[in-house]
Amino acid sequence: MTQERVSLQRGLHGIEQLGGLLIAALFAIGALVPNLLSDYALLIGFRLMLYIVLAEAWNLLAGYCGLVSLGSASFVGIGAYVLVGLLNQTGVPVPVAVLIAGLAGAALSAAVSPAVFRLRGLYFTVGTLALGEALRLLMINVPWFGGATGLFLRADWPSSAELYRYVLALLILTELVISVGAHSRLSTLMRAVRDDEDAAAQVGVRAFRVKLGTFMVASLLMSAAGALQAYKLTAVEPYGMFGLQWSVDVLAMVIIGGIGLRYGPVIGAVFVVLLGELLADYPELHVAITGVILIVLIRFAPKGLAGVAERTVNLFGRRVAGAHSV
Amino acid sequence: MIDDTSLVGESSGAFIVEVRGLTKRYAGVTAADNVNLAISRGEVFGIIGPNGAGKSTLVGLIGGAVKPSSGTIIYAGEDITALPAAERARRGIGRTYQIPRPFLDMTVAENLAVALYSASPLISARVAGDEVKAMLMRTGLAGEGHLMARNLPLLRRKRLEVARALMLKPRLLLLDEVGAGLVDAEVTELIELIHSLDDGETSIVIVEHVIRIVRECCRRLAVLHTGAKFAEGSTAEILADKDVASIYLGTGHGSDRTLPHKPRASSTQRPMVSEPPSKTLLQLAGVTAGYGQARVLTGVDFDVRPGEAVAILGTNGAGKTTLANTISGMVRATSGSIHFDGRDVTELPSHVRVRHGIAHCMEGRRIFPTLTVEENLLIAARSIDSGTRQQRLDEIYRLFPALHSRRGNSGTSLSGGEQQMLAIGRSLMSGPKLVIFDEISLGLAPIMMDRLYEALFQLRRRGLTMLIIEQDVDRALDLADRACVLERGRLALFGSATEIRSDRNLRRLYFGEAG
Repeated sequence: MTQERVSLQRGLHGIEQLGGLLIAALFAIGALVPNLLSDYALLIGFRLMLYIVLAEAWNLLAGYCGLVSLGSASFVGIGAYVLVGLLNQTGVPVPVAVLIAGLAGAALSAAVSPAVFRLRGLYFTVGTLALGEALRLLMINVPWFGGATGLFLRADWPSSAELYRYVLALLILTELVISVGAHSRLSTLMRAVRDDEDAAAQVGVRAFRVKLGTFMVASLLMSAAGALQAYKLTAVEPYGMFGLQWSVDVLAMVIIGGIGLRYGPVIGAVFVVLLGELLADYPELHVAITGVILIVLIRFAPKGLAGVAERTVNLFGRRVAGAHSV
Repeated sequence: MIDDTSLVGESSGAFIVEVRGLTKRYAGVTAADNVNLAISRGEVFGIIGPNGAGKSTLVGLIGGAVKPSSGTIIYAGEDITALPAAERARRGIGRTYQIPRPFLDMTVAENLAVALYSASPLISARVAGDEVKAMLMRTGLAGEGHLMARNLPLLRRKRLEVARALMLKPRLLLLDEVGAGLVDAEVTELIELIHSLDDGETSIVIVEHVIRIVRECCRRLAVLHTGAKFAEGSTAEILADKDVASIYLGTGHGSDRTLPHKPRASSTQRPMVSEPPSKTLLQLAGVTAGYGQARVLTGVDFDVRPGEAVAILGTNGAGKTTLANTISGMVRATSGSIHFDGRDVTELPSHVRVRHGIAHCMEGRRIFPTLTVEENLLIAARSIDSGTRQQRLDEIYRLFPALHSRRGNSGTSLSGGEQQMLAIGRSLMSGPKLVIFDEISLGLAPIMMDRLYEALFQLRRRGLTMLIIEQDVDRALDLADRACVLERGRLALFGSATEIRSDRNLRRLYFGEAG
């Protein structure tokens, strides 16, 4: 009986650990079976995966490490500009350019961390918001990067199938990273820092290092996603790539899905992207509905859709266990 | 008699931690004032002293949470003054927080694992699991390993606090009031736990108000008072010391001191004490209150008559401040009723109670730092016509001339005593019928305390009804007509000030002495 329950728990735990990769595998079918997906479906798939990557990275930062950032746009933007610059100026292959773009994002996060980590809580959030806005203004006003008009990609334009494959690879990488992060000792340290940074220091956790590592990994993933977005658009300009919209959308997805939960970001990203597609013809309605959903969820289900699902499963599980023991 | 001088001659290598000239200044307050301490390897050392004496600051300074203004800390022969908290923890300094700070959204077991994973990230999962399990057993948390720390009640959180610090396998353990709020049986358990750690290698510093823990665990004690080391010696010696009793219990004050306005003789001319209450200003009936899961007050019945001064006494954590907060409306009573001036105020929020005449001079002063002295005063009298307002302002300046000369300065540029005068003045600006003075002498020099109490005597003679919460028992009893003693949230004693003064229970309640 107990043995059974333990093995059941272990099974569930295994699914939870592998779940992220299962999702990636699902998307992989679209890439492996030729002509399975239409051009439209491929582009929707691209959008979905891109947002899942961004939401996973943001959840790692905010949900696990307590660093609620409104600076996602900074990293999306840096990644985008670095990719276009690299492809235009040098002949590096696209995957290498995406990797370098990601590293550039990680480097940016490391460079700003001494400043933003001095801020705690809401002040950190506002600090990262300022970072994104400052970078946007810099890009507009400095002539080197095309100013307000931005840059055009001179390389060959990618096909939808090619884009799909690249973002799939990034998604697999992300799910691997997050699975390691969410289920290892690292996750325990991150959550300790999230819950009480000072108390964590008193038991020997070097909070600055934990935060820096998390910030760099999340920024790397976000910048790589930004690079792929630029590759898809074939043009970058500061208003779009450094726009506050990126920061806010990603935050909304994770909150709708369930902050700090392993599958919150995936559920949230899928929900928001599909909702956006369904209401594509009514943009005002889309924004209003997202707003209402956010308000309702924050009021009644602060752990988001994944939180609601988890509670339901637990309730069901208890009922099943109860039936067994009778 | 224990001979404490035997430790003095030993070489510095025998000390696990040595604190030299340690000073910490906050705005207006010196929380640690040139403290020198040396704690031997394997020693269990106690630190006692009144509230606000700087005990927790000292724990913070040694643990690394608080940066010193000056002085050095030598730990195991190494100067650690500049090291951050995490590095000190890795060298074996573990501490607990007086108000527990668990990792709320993690399970109890995970809370314990943090120290392990941080120190040795590659530890085998089985070893880590076993260590956590063993610690849960040892600290009486075995059944709670899977619970979220958020769901633990206060006293369990205190155990978790100790368990988490022990996971560091500390060479120096700093326990900050882990005994507060424990019932006798739990105190016994805690003492057993501390004895089990006393292996001759681990050094333990115990900051405690529960004197039984100090007496049964510590060989030596230091007494802190207003940030400075007041006394140090063997436990028996310190606990028997008259001067220590006078700063900690307050019995030394009053006997040889002559306050110009002290109506010593008047205590006999208070006939109202023994009479049945003809009229009450404030009436509490069966009041129960607390914070979240922690129930602090249980069924308190209490009354105050017009023009009377009532002292509220009791140990730390007995519920004095909660009682004050419940009367002023900062904390809602979960059951029972509060009547003030013939009106049921149980459900009224605090700002409405102020309008009915209850003013609260809160612990910790709560001065608005960006406003000037005069603005701080005026803010409490916004809805009053300007004539009355000026009149009250003048009265307060007459009571505290020091405030008048500094009326244009910002609130935080004042000394600690002046800040307290300002807080008292502000509570008077609303023209209250009843003022609650909560720990107004906290962290103040004796001379300043004298000056504040002179002002309170003046106010009492003018007929102001007041409730006084005070660590300094003698001062409070000098001023009060009646006094009550709270013990673990219940009213243990209530009677005239003279009766309470001569009550042997009082000494027992405060100092844990047998009758």
